[in-house]
Amino acid sequence: MRVLLVEDEVRLADNLAAALREGPGFAVDWAEDGQVGYECARNRVYDLIVLDLMLPKLDGLSVLRRLRGRQDPTPVLILTAKDGADSIIQLLNAGADDYLAKPFDLGELIARAKALIRRGKGAAHPTLTAGTLEVNTLEQTVRRDGIPVELSPTEYRILEYLVHRPRVIVSKRELLEHLYDYNWEHHSNVIEAHVSNLRKKLDQAVVKTDGELPDASAETAGVIETMRGRGYRLAPELEAEHSR
Amino acid sequence: MKLPIHPRSIAFRLIVAVLAVELASAVLVVVLSYGYERHSHFRSFDVMLHGRVDSILGAVQDADDHPQDDVMLVQSDLHVPPDDIYQVYAANGRLLGRSANWQGLAPDFSAPPRGLYSRMIVNGRHYRVLLFNASRIIDVAEPGGGKLRQFTILYGAPTEYVWRAINGAVKFYAVGSLLLLLVTGPLIAWLLHRGLLPLRQLAALASNVSVDSWQFSPPASARLTPELAPLTQAIESVLSRLEASFLQQRAFVSDAAHELKTAVAVIKSSLQLLGVKRRTAEEYKAGLERCLADSLRLEEIVAKMLTLARLESAASSPCTPSISEIAECLRLTFTELQTVATLRQVLLVAGALPAEECTVPLTAEDCRLLLSNLLLNALQHSPPASKIEVRLTRSSDAVELVIEDHGEGIDPQVLPHVFDRFYRGDPSRTRATGGTGLGLAIARAIVERAGGAIVLASQPGEGTTATVRLPLASEDSSSLPKSPSA
Repeated sequence: MRVLLVEDEVRLADNLAAALREGPGFAVDWAEDGQVGYECARNRVYDLIVLDLMLPKLDGLSVLRRLRGRQDPTPVLILTAKDGADSIIQLLNAGADDYLAKPFDLGELIARAKALIRRGKGAAHPTLTAGTLEVNTLEQTVRRDGIPVELSPTEYRILEYLVHRPRVIVSKRELLEHLYDYNWEHHSNVIEAHVSNLRKKLDQAVVKTDGELPDASAETAGVIETMRGRGYRLAPELEAEHSR
Repeated sequence: MKLPIHPRSIAFRLIVAVLAVELASAVLVVVLSYGYERHSHFRSFDVMLHGRVDSILGAVQDADDHPQDDVMLVQSDLHVPPDDIYQVYAANGRLLGRSANWQGLAPDFSAPPRGLYSRMIVNGRHYRVLLFNASRIIDVAEPGGGKLRQFTILYGAPTEYVWRAINGAVKFYAVGSLLLLLVTGPLIAWLLHRGLLPLRQLAALASNVSVDSWQFSPPASARLTPELAPLTQAIESVLSRLEASFLQQRAFVSDAAHELKTAVAVIKSSLQLLGVKRRTAEEYKAGLERCLADSLRLEEIVAKMLTLARLESAASSPCTPSISEIAECLRLTFTELQTVATLRQVLLVAGALPAEECTVPLTAEDCRLLLSNLLLNALQHSPPASKIEVRLTRSSDAVELVIEDHGEGIDPQVLPHVFDRFYRGDPSRTRATGGTGLGLAIARAIVERAGGAIVLASQPGEGTTATVRLPLASEDSSSLPKSPSA
């Protein structure tokens, strides 16, 4: 998941970006004023925007109004040092999804960020299931048929993103956009390598239980389908049971 | 013990004053009318007495048939009111006639010959009596031209009717005045109440003003009424100044809260970040150092806010006369900041200092705070290998300090706000260099407290020039110690 952080206090931004990267493993882009923040957000590649209210050049409320004015549905979490119900009501009415008052708890910020991303993707529970596949977004663990599957952080993030996007063909470009921040050198073959490894690990889990090689047919044909030239998607049989 | 005097309402005082004036004039009218009525009534009374005496005189006739006397009073022809009294004596002391209701009075011929009034009580009634010496020539037809006969007439009439008339008139005036007083009292109260209505409306409007609603729109009539116009203007100007200062305070509190909360949020997040995952000892050490740096920044913000609060509260109270030698302060500040300048590879250049002493009305501490704030500001905005020039010139009554840097300059849109508290022209730059947004606000507070002026001029891309003009400390205070306490 990729998060845009709009915060003008350098030290706070450093800490927040580090926490979001190290905790849930998000890709984080940082904008230091409202103008840059708005320009970044216009790309619509973010799964969450963390927006400070008091910003130079363009304040947080204006950024929010402009985004919502463009029908941008990206979840927005506001960071505010202002007290008072009026300010909060105004924020929520302007289209904010949640807010945190400074000084906030870093753990709470991460939890709220995860919840907002989840909600933004239409899932209510932190544990996502698709057929025999179970993804626990809190512990960042994956099970297939109850068997734990060991994944690298990047592999996990690819799977989580795919599980969040049922019935949709996710292009390599989209995966790149949502899993890496803009400091990353974009190479689609990096994605290909990770997806290949991910598919292998998920299939091996089935092999372990059945004790035999997977058939070319049936659901063991591969959890992740490759649509040539278009991208990837979770095997339709799995995503059919996407939500609990 | 002296009780506090509660001032009465203006309306009450006006009513009492008007009624008192009315009462005084009523008393005056009564007294004057009494005098006038008495005078005019007694005048006509006296005319009447004369008339009666004349008719008595007419009744005195020749008495040819009388052996001894030759005049007599013919009372049968006399028609006088029954209450009146009279008597007529001849000069020889013979009584010619007398009214029936009276015993009479012995004639006194020593009295003045004509018209003498006196008072008398007869039968228990007050009388006004006229004594009249008359004469008549009788037997005109006889040879020798007739005989002159003198006699005295005493005529009196009761005065009670006159007094009754006088009293009646005076009573009429008194009662009239009193009625007028009773009617005008409430009338004045009502008129005053009506007349003061615009004042009450103005007060009601003014009382609606609160910190949440500064709206004060007096009716146009209040502005045009001569008595209300100054009050309206005063209220309006006080409110607008209060509103401005209140909004400024509120903005300051809000900005300060934001700064402090942000600084706390930085420290808190720095600490919590360490707990997000397991880290190596080196990582913990680096994290703790960052936390310490964040705490120092919070400390700096708090210290500067307190400095600003001290300067601004002192500005309103008379400060003790304090002076310092600005050239000496400049030398010390230069020495202090030399390390920072070397670190940033910026050259600090001081022009020639004036030969005379330049004492300014500031404490040495504030003077150096001012200089270091301005120099640090210039240092923060100077690129490496540039230089900062400082010039100090002295005129007859003031010192001018010019600090010129060759940094990136200030945006013309930003320039008017640089002295605002917590204002940061370019946050990414100033935050990175550790600015709190209070340095220039503190500098201005110090300069204004000393009665000076500070101006920042800037050419984007070429540099910024800060010009501070401070008045020289007055002669009488120059006896105080002037070397800064280093």
